[in-house]
Amino acid sequence: MSVIDYDAVVIGGGMSGLMAGIQLLEQGHTVAVVSRGDPAVCLSTGCIDVCGTVMDPLAGVDALPEGHPYHLTGKEKIRAALDKFSDIMTDVRLPYAGRAEENRAIITPLGTTKLTCLVPRTMETAPRKPEEYIHVVSFKGLKDFYPSYITARRKNTGFSLYDAGVTTTMGIAARFEDRQFLSEFITWLKGLEIPDGKLAFPAVMGLEHPLSIMQEIQTQVERWGFEIPTLPPSLPGIRLFKGLKRVFQGKGGDVYWGSPIASVERSGKHIEAVTIETKGRSTRVNGRAFILATGSFVSGGLFAQRGEIQETVFGLSVASPGPRDDWFNRDFFTPGHAIERAGIHVGRDFRPLEGTLENLFVCGSILSGSEVMKYGCGHGLALATGLAAAESCAEVL
Amino acid sequence: MIAGITTSMIRTDVVIIGGGATGCGIARDLALRGIAHYLVEKDDFAAGATGACHGLLHSGGRYVVTDPVAAKECIEENMILRTIGKKCVEITGGLFVRLPGDSKRFRDRFLKSCEEVGIPTEVLSPTRALDLVPGLNPVLEEAIKVPDCSIDPFRLCMLNAYTSRQKGGGILTHHKVIEIVKERGRCVGVKAQDQFTKQIKEIRARVIINATGAWGKKVAALSGSDVPMTLSKGSLVITNHRLTNMVINRLRPPSDGDIIVPNEAVCLAGTTSIPVDDPDAIEVKSLEVDIVMGEAERMIPTFRTTRMIRAYTGVRPLLQADGGDSRAISRGFRIIDHANGMFSILGGKLTTYRLMAEKMVDTIMLEFGLETPCQTAEKPLDGQDELSGYPLSKRLKDISGVICECELVSRDEVERVINRIGTKYIGDIQHRTRLGMGPCQGGFCTYRALGIMHDMGRVTSEESMRVLREFLERRFKGIRPALWGDQLREEQLVESIYLGILSMGKDA
Repeated sequence: MSVIDYDAVVIGGGMSGLMAGIQLLEQGHTVAVVSRGDPAVCLSTGCIDVCGTVMDPLAGVDALPEGHPYHLTGKEKIRAALDKFSDIMTDVRLPYAGRAEENRAIITPLGTTKLTCLVPRTMETAPRKPEEYIHVVSFKGLKDFYPSYITARRKNTGFSLYDAGVTTTMGIAARFEDRQFLSEFITWLKGLEIPDGKLAFPAVMGLEHPLSIMQEIQTQVERWGFEIPTLPPSLPGIRLFKGLKRVFQGKGGDVYWGSPIASVERSGKHIEAVTIETKGRSTRVNGRAFILATGSFVSGGLFAQRGEIQETVFGLSVASPGPRDDWFNRDFFTPGHAIERAGIHVGRDFRPLEGTLENLFVCGSILSGSEVMKYGCGHGLALATGLAAAESCAEVL
Repeated sequence: MIAGITTSMIRTDVVIIGGGATGCGIARDLALRGIAHYLVEKDDFAAGATGACHGLLHSGGRYVVTDPVAAKECIEENMILRTIGKKCVEITGGLFVRLPGDSKRFRDRFLKSCEEVGIPTEVLSPTRALDLVPGLNPVLEEAIKVPDCSIDPFRLCMLNAYTSRQKGGGILTHHKVIEIVKERGRCVGVKAQDQFTKQIKEIRARVIINATGAWGKKVAALSGSDVPMTLSKGSLVITNHRLTNMVINRLRPPSDGDIIVPNEAVCLAGTTSIPVDDPDAIEVKSLEVDIVMGEAERMIPTFRTTRMIRAYTGVRPLLQADGGDSRAISRGFRIIDHANGMFSILGGKLTTYRLMAEKMVDTIMLEFGLETPCQTAEKPLDGQDELSGYPLSKRLKDISGVICECELVSRDEVERVINRIGTKYIGDIQHRTRLGMGPCQGGFCTYRALGIMHDMGRVTSEESMRVLREFLERRFKGIRPALWGDQLREEQLVESIYLGILSMGKDA
């Protein structure tokens, strides 16, 4: 077994874990992120939902019920986290647009609209007015995007299909990394007779740096274009994750990817180490402090047995959403299933309230009461609590 | 066109209400005897108890001790159906498993009754039984082999309806009977409303047959009649994969959770038996799921850790009993002549659907003064080659255009089905291709299938939103009782797609 020492060990490589890790690195600590696999952010739209209940997300935060983790960070911390995030993403050439005080409505792949706060710059020029003409440019056989959903629901919308020879979002995005493919695509675009207006593309415009591809199209075709998110796996989500991971590594952080935690070592009120399975052998990762950012059910931070809900790494006590018959509403469309409130209950310092662990901090959607779906607060909550938990953690280091 | 206005008048000899196995069986029998008819079903085929059962073609063993008459009907029909319906029956064989503590006396009665009724049996040692089904609980005392089979209820209905269509019968699915037309006290027709367009068709006939199973009372009431029946809810769970290649029964008097049936890539386990009043207001309780899983786990221990993909409940239409346990009620059937031009056919089982149809049509022939004999016991079901599902070989050939990764259903196949039946319902495509029947239960492919319908110009924006919402609501009803473990994880992801990425919340 190899043994490695860090100041802080972050468990979970999603939005909140990477944000916490980056913050701790910037404060001069040595940090490792341990992750079982690619995080749920890869399945998201890549947009930063802060609070989707009203047009002003920060005003929306005020109205959230007592016990929502946003009340532990406060609005200033949310704003600080979003600013920090925007700066970081600009550094890795995946700039975001938008500000904390204002939600914007983006077009969904169903042709409906959705409120979100920060969007990748590739989505920035989406029309704000319904009467504005848009022309959807999609790809033949693409299975996770159907332009007719949008043209049927939205007036002043047309569409054209390009044959990219592949039918998955990942496959088409990979083709856009090829200069030859891009120039053929642009030639085809120039040949289309389209009314004045913007071009809407499914979010497949390149794997890592879509902005330069979009800018090239705009220069040559002389039209503004924007991306519409697709169903998972979603390129904007994957780009976001990879960008954050690059930042973390660029600042000197270590990542242990695809490594489930085999055991945890404690001594009294302290967690001393976690042991992970790496390439057929064990690695013991020692830490002076630990951050738990394993997410909720989708990411596997929580697991529901028929009788009870478990926290999967440390076996922390989970705030219960009541008996199983009550976990879910009867109606699919009523927002806010009781199960969404399940999670780890923490204090202002982001340490679990139950139990006696002194060097463990918790952030992200595993926090009890976060109700991410109901309040449309996914990535915003991850960023704000990730930052706050890291600051709290830094105090003990 | 104005909604709710009668737009057409159809004349025929017989109207069958209900598109379950019985109704479809009657349609086929009538077609083969040359009688004009229409079948009206408010949903898709097999939407009631036909589709919400085990899909078990009984050997009769389950009832042999308590109801030998029904058991005899089962074994006879079992032998007929495995011959005429090769493409919808899988000859799995079945085991009755005796576990420690199960009555030896019941076992002796079981063997004796099987012999009397004519159900072939073979007593197997635990070793031999474990050879056949390695997943069985190794503590078993013995197993008795019987000729149980698994049957695809939906395909069975489609194949029966196929003959009817070939011979000029009318099959109206997604049409709900909203009125039974009477003249001078006699039932002379029905008014059926298209559930999509809301248009109404009036169908005039000489005889009306109520083959609506659990809805029998509601439909009979439309003509001012009543039927003596008891409703009993039975809940089942579906596993994510196949745990046994044979039907597994518990060797004891009929009780909760005593059957596991393999079906295509999954297993169905159940059931419970709880009296209910309204077939439209039923749900599976987590207690029922726990009971069924607990019992199934006694027979196949890995059931405990196996992922469940959904749970569902069907309502058995049983002949009226004077109180007591609904399991003690005969699984036999009965035809009621309301003496006003309407007949109701009650009770019975999926296994005996053909016999029920035969007796029903015999009654009609008598009414019409005709003597053409029944042919359904000998003539193989028509259309089996065309409607034999979507075999793996074909699925693999189409793999480049796969839109349902769980069940390997391609865009081409979905387009073929849409073109063939002209549907606007996701459920219709699911039943015909297995799209969305896998672990995600349509979470990903529903958006795609509807997108294809959109691209084909089959649905308007309002229609697609309505169809999608209805589908998701119905799907959630089935999946909700099975939400824990990995299925709960998957469900949260699906929710994040429809309520998050696609923003289909209440106001969308």
